[in-house]
Amino acid sequence: MASRDRDPVDVLIIGAGASGAAVAWSLAETRMRIVCMEQGDWTNPSEYPTNFPDWEQRLTERDHIDPNVRARPTDYPINNDDSPISVVNFNGVGGGTILYAAHFPRLHPSDFRVKSLDGVADDWPVDYDALEPYFAENDRMMGVSGLAGDPSYPPKQPPLPPLPLGRVGETVARGFNELGWHWWPADSAIISRPYEGRDQCKNLGPCTSGCAQGAKSSTDITYWPVALRSGVELRTRCRVREITVNADGMADGVWYYDEDGEEHHQRAEVVVLACNGVGTPRILLNSTSPEFPDGLANSSGLVGKNLMFHPVGFVQGLFEERLDSHMGPQGCCMLSNEFYETDPERDFVRGYMMQIVRGGVWPWSTAMLGARSGTIPWGPGHHEAFARRFDHTANIGILCEDLPEEHNTVTLDPELVDSDGIPAPKITYTLSENSRAMLDHGVARAKEAMLAAGAIEVTGGGPARQAGWHLLGTARMGDDPETSVVNSWGRSHDVKNLFIVDGSIFVTSGGVNPTSTIQALALYIADTMKKNLANLFD
Amino acid sequence: MNDELIASDAPFTDAQRVILGALADTLVPASDDGVMPSAKDLDLAGYLARNASDFLAELAEVLARFDDGFVSEPLDARCERMQAFSEAEPESFGRLLAEVYGCYYQDARVLEGIGVGAGPPFPRGNTVEPGDLSLLDPVLANPTNWRRDVS
Ligand SMILES: Cc1cc2nc3c(=O)[nH]c(=O)nc-3n(C[C@H](O)[C@H](O)[C@H](O)COP(=O)(O)OP(=O)(O)OC[C@H]3O[C@@H](n4cnc5c(N)ncnc54)[C@H](O)[C@@H]3O)c2cc1C
Ligand code: SF4
Repeated sequence: MASRDRDPVDVLIIGAGASGAAVAWSLAETRMRIVCMEQGDWTNPSEYPTNFPDWEQRLTERDHIDPNVRARPTDYPINNDDSPISVVNFNGVGGGTILYAAHFPRLHPSDFRVKSLDGVADDWPVDYDALEPYFAENDRMMGVSGLAGDPSYPPKQPPLPPLPLGRVGETVARGFNELGWHWWPADSAIISRPYEGRDQCKNLGPCTSGCAQGAKSSTDITYWPVALRSGVELRTRCRVREITVNADGMADGVWYYDEDGEEHHQRAEVVVLACNGVGTPRILLNSTSPEFPDGLANSSGLVGKNLMFHPVGFVQGLFEERLDSHMGPQGCCMLSNEFYETDPERDFVRGYMMQIVRGGVWPWSTAMLGARSGTIPWGPGHHEAFARRFDHTANIGILCEDLPEEHNTVTLDPELVDSDGIPAPKITYTLSENSRAMLDHGVARAKEAMLAAGAIEVTGGGPARQAGWHLLGTARMGDDPETSVVNSWGRSHDVKNLFIVDGSIFVTSGGVNPTSTIQALALYIADTMKKNLANLFD
Repeated sequence: MNDELIASDAPFTDAQRVILGALADTLVPASDDGVMPSAKDLDLAGYLARNASDFLAELAEVLARFDDGFVSEPLDARCERMQAFSEAEPESFGRLLAEVYGCYYQDARVLEGIGVGAGPPFPRGNTVEPGDLSLLDPVLANPTNWRRDVS
């Protein structure tokens, strides 16, 4: 039965992931009554797959990165039929950071100025310099390991020393040196030394199944404990269906379902959306009213448009020597920004980062990959072929800047619904010619690097399908209400007490993993809100 | 092998288990040096019962097809039969292979044999070489500066 809560809260944050945690922590010092609603649960690190002998099996089922496969009661289905890339995520306290690889580069200064520099897409209404203090604050709060001095960035000082390069890193680095290309140990949201009561990384390997050691900086063990101690209330198993508005067109609360599917209304003075680039437009589009017939905060018509993913290619090199590829943080080793910036000589604009990856090739998956590619036969000869490949590979991921295009969208599926009957998101996405050319270029260059590093066999391609990790652009920032959804500090142009702090507000995608920038932006927005508390809605 | 566990876990007859063992041994025989066991020596029946209930009916049909002296044929002959099966019924074969590999490559003895160490990754952990950061010298000598003309 529907119930109306009498007690309004000052700030209602929806989503307890990367950005929701950061904004909750930052706003806590205001001593306002802050409630965060999260559809998922807390996770228990002792239930992560790496605690169990059948951990590889678990990755294929209840701990899968694809919510459609995982299909927990806390997940919502996503229709990816019209996209070559499918969305992966995690729904619970910590959001995507529970499963992320924790590769933690920042966007580059040029990423905020692509229109001015390269005549494409749009400039951001904020820049790197404005975000710099928040990048640094976020690095401290999360616990980031890395090496100062990377010449492809303005100066920065990670709070912890870098993670080990290992044999994979050393081997691939030699190839990059041979070609005279940039590389650097990755900034990683994984602690290389004990930090803030957490113990350091033990090099288990499969970080994207959740870190049983607690070394990976997911927000359930970084921001949230501090935010809760500071008085923020976090309510799990609360799935928001829609944001409601009053007669003045201001947000006044949300309708949500509790764990038992009971419907409730929670009133709020300010609503902050932090549900990621798919979850946020889904709620906005589902929040219709006579004043907002096309969805809340959507007078520009851009809610759900301009979805950007970062199309990803992978190149694998096989080496004679054993590289211990199965151990060490899988996604965090080193990166190269050699091809990051626009070069007029190339047949595409903007560029990509190369992410050197050690893991992802565990015993069972090596055997299966070998069976599919015909490189590891079954029967006699199996063991010799397996031994030649297992622990003898290195991978390079090519992470391409995805430019915004209005036809790449998140809409509400007309039929598919979640377990509470809320329409599921439908993804419509095509790979642009620019991205295709960039991917091809990146795959070719990564193959060159592998050969230079001494690989005896090189394979690769893209875009990878289950690689919709980065969900960006679907409620973009901007100064002009006709061409953007929120302003330069995340406030909706249409609804002055509604803020968005997740990856939806990215104007362009950059060519690096986005979470460091998502969180820096969330801290920046929270700080701007605090500075403007007296006239927040003017 | 723990018979009690298999008897309670696995919905296979003794005869089916023998055929299953022969199929598994054909797909992953023991290594010549004896370090890597044959897949028939693992608790495959128990594994299937626990993890592949949706495959058991189909598997029963596959086992029936090999209930014709296959188990006592030499490895070469069994491989030929398996090859023919893989070509005639690629989906059933693919599923069987995936399950046999799943059982095999999550087994403690096998993991020891390939040098990964028995048991789950946590809390054991691994030691990774730090790597030689002097490899960065050429990068620093030939810097790829970030694009500064941004304002
Ligand atoms: C396998 C994997 C690997 C990744 N690797 C990296 C990496 O190496 N580096 C990197 O930078 N990024 C990586 N990412 C991406 C990273 O996780 C995201 O960029 C980041 O978590 C996004 O933050 P967010 O705050 O926008 O949303 P999220 O962290 O996704 O949080 C959104 C939260 O909102 C909740 N929510 C949604 N809808 C509702 C609703 N209706 N009601 C209540 N709650 C709701 C969700 O349950 C979720 O907890 C990876 C992601 C995955 C899945
Ligand atoms: S490699 Fe490190 S960060 Fe990754 S899961 Fe293991 S302990 Fe955690």
